[in-house]
Amino acid sequence: MCELTSCSTFSLMNKFFLTLLLSISSFVLYAQPKGYQPVNNLSAFQQSLTKSNAAVQTIMSDFVQTKNLSLLADKIKSKGKFYFKKENKVRIEYTTPYTYLLVMNGGQLMVKDEEKTSKINTRSSKTMQSVNRIIIDCMQGTVFHNTDFKVAAYENSQSYLLSLEPATDAMRKMFKKIDVYMNKKDFDVHKLTMTEQGGDFTDMDFINTQHNVALNENLFKIK
Amino acid sequence: MLLFAACASPYKHLHFHEDKSQTALQYKPVYEKQVYRCVVDGKILFKKFHLSGILFFKTMEDKSTRVIFQNEMGFTYFDFKWNGQDSFKVIQIIDQMNKPALVKTLEKDLSIFLLKDLNKPTEKIAVNDGDTFYRFTLSKGYVYYIAHSGKLETIDNTGKGGKVTTITLTGKDTPKGLPDSALFTHHKAHFTIQIKKIQSHVDE
Repeated sequence: MCELTSCSTFSLMNKFFLTLLLSISSFVLYAQPKGYQPVNNLSAFQQSLTKSNAAVQTIMSDFVQTKNLSLLADKIKSKGKFYFKKENKVRIEYTTPYTYLLVMNGGQLMVKDEEKTSKINTRSSKTMQSVNRIIIDCMQGTVFHNTDFKVAAYENSQSYLLSLEPATDAMRKMFKKIDVYMNKKDFDVHKLTMTEQGGDFTDMDFINTQHNVALNENLFKIK
Repeated sequence: MLLFAACASPYKHLHFHEDKSQTALQYKPVYEKQVYRCVVDGKILFKKFHLSGILFFKTMEDKSTRVIFQNEMGFTYFDFKWNGQDSFKVIQIIDQMNKPALVKTLEKDLSIFLLKDLNKPTEKIAVNDGDTFYRFTLSKGYVYYIAHSGKLETIDNTGKGGKVTTITLTGKDTPKGLPDSALFTHHKAHFTIQIKKIQSHVDE
C-alpha cells in the first residue's frame, strides 16, 4: 500500500501528476461521461478535496445498494448503514433484505453473514488490500494516490465525478471501472458505481450522511 | 462388505418399473424469476471454506434460464445459462471457481434441482411406504426424485459408490413452484449449499 507520506516528495508528485494528466487526457478522448466536463483546474480541485477531507474524522451514512443486471434488465436492491473512521476503519452493515456485516480495521477484515463470522488478514492478500483500500480511498477522497487505478476527474454544476480505471490485472478482473460521485458543495461521496467487465454494475447511494459524529470503537472491532 | 453394499445402492430394495401415467417432470419448476440467499460451507483437505451471497434464477423470454451467484456487495461469482433445449453454457465465472470439476458439479446440482436435461425414456418409478420414487438414468449414475404425499421433498443423485448429492426441499407447496429453501449435501465432495428464498427486494 502506498503510504501518503512516501507519495509526498516533490519529484515523485510531479511524476505522478504528469502520469495522471497523461492518463486523464487519453481517457477523456474516449470516455467523457455524459453531462460532465473534465475538471478545469485539477490541482485546485485536489487541494480543496484534501482540505475538506482533512476535517472529516468520521462518516456515518445510510446506503441503498442496487445491483443492475444489465442483460436481464433486473435490479437487486439492499439497504444498510455505512461507517468510516479515520484512518482505516470501515463498517458496512447490510440490514435489508438480509443481514451481512463487513468490518475493516487496519489490516484485518471481518465478514459476518447470518450464519458465520470469518476473519481475514488482508496483509496476506494483495487483492484484498486493494479492495480494502479502494473503499477507504473513495470515502476519504484519496483516490489520486491509489496506484491500482488511473483516475480522471470531471465536474458539472452539482457534482464532481472521479472515474477510476483499473491499472492492474487483479483489479481489471474485478472491475471495468469505478465512478465516485461527490457533492460539489462539501465533497461528500453520494454515490459509487462499480462496473464489472461484463457490463453489470452496482450503485451504492449514500443518504443521510453525517460527519464527525462520535463512533464507538466497538463498531470496528474484529471479534 | 454389507455396509458397502448398502451404501452403494440406497434404493436397491425398491422395484422400479415403467409407468407412462406419471412422471417427475410434473415437478419441473415454472417461474419468471426468484432470488435466494445462498450459503456454501465445506472443507478441502483440512481447510474449511465459507461463502455467502445471492442466487438469482431467471427465465428469459427465449425460454433460456440464467442462474447468477453474486456476493452481498454485488460482485458476480458465476453466471450460468441453459438454452431452451437445456444446453449449458458458462457466461461468466471468477478465476477462483473456474475449475472443471467444480463447474461440472454446480451444473449438475442446478440441472437436477431445476429438472433440466433429464432423459425421459429412462424414467422408472417405484412406490414404497407412501413415497413415490422417480428414477432417471444419468451419464453416470441415477437421479431420484422422491415425493411424499404428492409433494416433491428429496432429490438424490447416486453413483457407483452410493449417494453423491442429496437435495432436501422445503416449502415446494405447488408442483410447479420453486421451494422456499433447499439444502444441497455433497456426500463425497464434503460441502453443502443452502438456499433460502428472498421475497422483498427485487425491483424492475
